[in-house]
Amino acid sequence: MHPARIPPLLAILALTACGGDAGPQAEQPSAGLVIGGEEAEVSALYQMPTPNELFGLVRQMAGEGHKRMLNPASHVDKYASLRARAINFGVYATDLVYASSFKLNVEVARYYLTSKKLAQSLGLDNAFSDADFVRLESNLTRGDSLEVISNEAYQRAYERMQQERMGPVLHMVLAGGWLESMHLVMRQIDAFGQSEALVARVAEQKVTLDHLLGMMEETKADPDVAEVYARLSALRSIYDQLEVRRAPHGGASPSGRMVLGEDMTVELTPEKYAELSKAVTDLRNEWIKPEGGTNS
Amino acid sequence: MTRNVIQLLAAAALLAAPFSPAKAQSECLTYHKFNCDRSRDARFSVNGQSRSALVKVGEETELNIIVYRGQDYRISVCHDSKILGEEVAIRLVEKLRTASDGEDGKRTYSETEKVLWDNTEHEMASEIEFSCTATKRIAVKVNAPGASDRKGKAADLDIGCVGILIEHMPTPGIGF
Repeated sequence: MHPARIPPLLAILALTACGGDAGPQAEQPSAGLVIGGEEAEVSALYQMPTPNELFGLVRQMAGEGHKRMLNPASHVDKYASLRARAINFGVYATDLVYASSFKLNVEVARYYLTSKKLAQSLGLDNAFSDADFVRLESNLTRGDSLEVISNEAYQRAYERMQQERMGPVLHMVLAGGWLESMHLVMRQIDAFGQSEALVARVAEQKVTLDHLLGMMEETKADPDVAEVYARLSALRSIYDQLEVRRAPHGGASPSGRMVLGEDMTVELTPEKYAELSKAVTDLRNEWIKPEGGTNS
Repeated sequence: MTRNVIQLLAAAALLAAPFSPAKAQSECLTYHKFNCDRSRDARFSVNGQSRSALVKVGEETELNIIVYRGQDYRISVCHDSKILGEEVAIRLVEKLRTASDGEDGKRTYSETEKVLWDNTEHEMASEIEFSCTATKRIAVKVNAPGASDRKGKAADLDIGCVGILIEHMPTPGIGF
């Protein structure tokens, strides 16, 4: 063979390597990660904030956490379908982060194990390790450490789903997590009393819901995701009825940093709040309802 | 001849391996953790939306994130300058869902974009700190020109790692 023919062959082999058929799934590039190139159509990546960021903001104005608001851990064995397992992994992982944010220390341990169980059923074994549970147990009196350990576990699960091309599962997990965050903040309002600041946080979740649904566009052809997408879209239709007002920010930021973009107010009237609250409760009741089968 | 072909294939496979996007991608996943500098302000915490990805020269890439009202953020971008060039263009773009009423009375929704910050107007700064007074959907858009000494060479292989490190803290007040 003439040396001059080597480069095209190399090119063919390189392209074959790009195809990624031979390697194990874990080593293949995620469609959602590769940017540019003819083979990669996705050039937009989406990230959802971890629940602790919202709970950190809510905690400042919402008093104590309440364990009765969490999805009962005893349900964990009763989610058999992939959709129920994925959604409720998102629910339980959010409950775990809520418990650690509000220093419900016994619940942190309980929901760590509960999340771990569903994580295993989704192939995310490494995200919730026994070593971390030991670490968590030894830090039960240190709320800040629990928050760090819980968030690390949540983040590992999230990253694992991205790396393993688990798009539909990831999106259902995030949907469950988003709904549980909404539920927890709204129930916090019930427990703590009507607070303008907390209601404003609920109103702003319009933005995160738009973001989540934008993210799910990529996988909504999946029948399970399609159903979840449709239910969340119905919730968004309530948000779409709210008036959104924008105005330039007046004055400087208290921190002295530049203010990015305009101020925005989403007008959530008591009637619309009640409608949204009912819709969130109904959907959550449906999603966390134990199924007939078992996953254990 | 057959043996030569096999040897050649084996050699080619070895040579091709380092260029595998899968390998490059896996090496890229944690790029921001080890290559983007953290803020010197210890009050900033690393935000879970930080991310790294492979970026192709000349093609815009965007990372869509949420920023919450009441938080200060620091967004810094680090990249493989040997491939992507010394500086990359960075824009922060707000994504808005806007409604419009058709003649038939039917309301439709579309997504619009509004540029909030562009580093080409700020000396190609690779980081920005800001306060957020309204919860927003932000796309961090990155476009790499490519290293000048690589232009024209194997353009299809001109992909390199970009890391986007996001840090946040509750907006602190100043004074007493």
